[in-house]
Amino acid sequence: MGLLQISEPGGASPRRGSRKNVAGIDLGTTNSLIATYVESGQGAMESAVEGTVQTLADSHGAHLLPSAVQFGATGVLATGAAAKARAAEDPANVIISVKRALGKSHDELTASGDYRQYRFAADRAAEAPAFLTAAGARDAVAVSAEILKALAARAERHAGASIEGAVITVPAHFNDAQRQQTRQAAELAGIKVLRLLNEPTAAAVAYGLDSNERGNIIVYDLGGGTFDVSLLSLQKGIFEVLATGGDTALGGNDFDKVVVDWLASKAGFAAIEPARYPALLQVANRAREALSEAGQAEVVWGGWCGELTAAHFAELAAPLVRRTLSACRRVLRDAGMKLGDIDHVLLVGGATRMPVVRQAVSEYFAREPLHDIDPDRVVALGAGIQAEVLAGNRPNEDFLLLDVNPLSLGIETMGELVEKIIQRNTAIPVVKSQQFTTFKDGQTAMTLHIVQGERELASECRSLARFTLRGIPPMAAGAAKVEVRFQIDADGLLSVAATESSTGCKAEIQVKPSYGLDLGQVEKMLHDSRAHAREDMQARALGEAKLEAERLIDAIDGAVKEDGGLLDAAERQAIEAALASLGEALAGGDPALIDERRARLNEVSESFAARRMNATVGAALRGESIETFENLAK
Amino acid sequence: MLSIADNYFSQFHLPVEYDIDLPRLDSEFRQFQQLVHPDRHAAASDEQRLLAIKLSSHLNEAYQTLKSPLRRAAYLLRLQGVDVEQVEQSDLAPELLLEQMQLREQLAELPQDESAFAALEQMGDETSERLVGRQRDFAALLASGALAEARKLFHELQFLSKLQAEIEKAEDALFAE
Repeated sequence: MGLLQISEPGGASPRRGSRKNVAGIDLGTTNSLIATYVESGQGAMESAVEGTVQTLADSHGAHLLPSAVQFGATGVLATGAAAKARAAEDPANVIISVKRALGKSHDELTASGDYRQYRFAADRAAEAPAFLTAAGARDAVAVSAEILKALAARAERHAGASIEGAVITVPAHFNDAQRQQTRQAAELAGIKVLRLLNEPTAAAVAYGLDSNERGNIIVYDLGGGTFDVSLLSLQKGIFEVLATGGDTALGGNDFDKVVVDWLASKAGFAAIEPARYPALLQVANRAREALSEAGQAEVVWGGWCGELTAAHFAELAAPLVRRTLSACRRVLRDAGMKLGDIDHVLLVGGATRMPVVRQAVSEYFAREPLHDIDPDRVVALGAGIQAEVLAGNRPNEDFLLLDVNPLSLGIETMGELVEKIIQRNTAIPVVKSQQFTTFKDGQTAMTLHIVQGERELASECRSLARFTLRGIPPMAAGAAKVEVRFQIDADGLLSVAATESSTGCKAEIQVKPSYGLDLGQVEKMLHDSRAHAREDMQARALGEAKLEAERLIDAIDGAVKEDGGLLDAAERQAIEAALASLGEALAGGDPALIDERRARLNEVSESFAARRMNATVGAALRGESIETFENLAK
Repeated sequence: MLSIADNYFSQFHLPVEYDIDLPRLDSEFRQFQQLVHPDRHAAASDEQRLLAIKLSSHLNEAYQTLKSPLRRAAYLLRLQGVDVEQVEQSDLAPELLLEQMQLREQLAELPQDESAFAALEQMGDETSERLVGRQRDFAALLASGALAEARKLFHELQFLSKLQAEIEKAEDALFAE
């Protein structure tokens, strides 16, 4: 324990005059954006939602970066609009909609039909299946990293310095594998992830802070490839997610596909060669988008020419729209609310521009949806605001986001059944434990299979990890007590530990994700991609060590000034000595030494910090027992 | 006397009883989270953040336990030393079991089309009405210290809540058709 400065909401006070250069990134299926704090008088002001956080444009004034990467023999040829424009002529090497491939297995990718124009590396067992491009095999993590790099470069051009960290948004219903791979993509792009933030939550933040509204808000987020719906309660400064849901395989792309199917039946073709598929999708997409503006759209494909009316499109799209409303219903249910409890409906995502969607949503909730903020940008703006908060750039603002775990987490038990340990829509952070026991006499090991999802059978849920706990003392069946502990931190990331405790003998293990790249692989890729930048990395390590150390020095100086009365002479001396030696280390350039001395300072100030915290928490608890509150932490 | 760590009610400065002031619970919870949530300590050291995670998780657990009528009932019984995990045959009246079986059969036999909506709605209304009444009874039994009866009633509340969830699930399935 150290200095938990509970008396100072806002926690991280920024060092005087220093603002951390951080960003919010919306890594979308179709388009991606980046938003940062922009000094007033700089950049395009039209999108200034919360005064100063804005989405950034490229040199042509475009805010949306199409999520497309073109690979050639020499590596990445183009990213964004230039890559997207070549999707039809170079289908195998322009990777689009890569977000839908994150966290998926080889079989899932080939079965989905989304990626029929690509070839995949032959290794079917690979945890991160790779697209075969002219530049070689590139998996979804590597492709996503290219998009992130392009966005980071844009921010760097604007600010004249590289970003120090970012909040990256993900669909609320993304599972753990998809979240981990998003994080890895950022690491690969050299971006420090401050937080993965759920997209509808980000939108609510941008909207709520902008409008200062209160009440219950539904965020209906239909993007290019994903659908999310969240129900939040907005109070002064607190955004509490009550429930979230969605459909992992439903987005604007699927509305394009119903047009493709219609076209196939009208123009009379059953199959299409995979290489022409991107061109066909583009035709369908143009027709679908035209229908947002007009009552009919002309469709030309090959020698065939015809017309699609808005009314007919609405009919074709009805089953998809109904699926979204069905998810809305479940969310209301999970939050224990009725339609009448909803005060606002916020539309997010480019696909909500479709009149058929707008109309269905306003009918279902019996109110006109809000769309004052550009639905394409609102998520990035909310992420940008949260990044500012997490970086400590907004110390004086009472702002807090309370989020939930979107999918249930559990353990496979006898008969392949899943024992859910953390239910979906449980507020995070959360720590839950459950006891399990041995099945056979003398059993000394137990294999734990961790799964995610709502189904009853383990095989129908997403497998997250498997690990074996060994060293259980031999006992009669049912006598051993294995406590399995699940923890989800504020990022929505899971760690699991198992402990055998019946005999006081403890065996403990931490789960590593069994999918995607392991950390070693990421490190290697990082190393490979930046081998030439070794010095940069050292400078960065030093910068980070210095920053951390300075922050601690500030915190302790402040604490001693404020509550020095809690210290006895010996303690004060020890703290002062540790402060001085850290100051010396700071003057040198060795990050390891700085870290070591910082740890030392933390250590000697630990008990002071604990007393300080107790004093403040005690005050918050209106004078009730201090000792007992501290026990919560054990 | 229960200490703070052991009692979710005093955690939020609420009296230890079944009838709960939900708006007060909400506001106390939010006030506490403003203090301890890890995001309020984003720039603190790892150890401090870990502590914040633990405190914040504890608050979440306490809050959700008290917010849910069923979990709150179980929690109050547990505070009185009544174990509700173990269900004995004698806890469950045969008529209750029989009735619940019939209701579930009724649910399973509903037609799989729009016409089932009305029937489901009626079942749902009846169930929630009964739940509210039985919750009132539970509060009274608990207040009078009739723990054995309260425990029996708790199992009925469990049945009714489960039934309600199944009705809702059936409605969802129908809606998704």
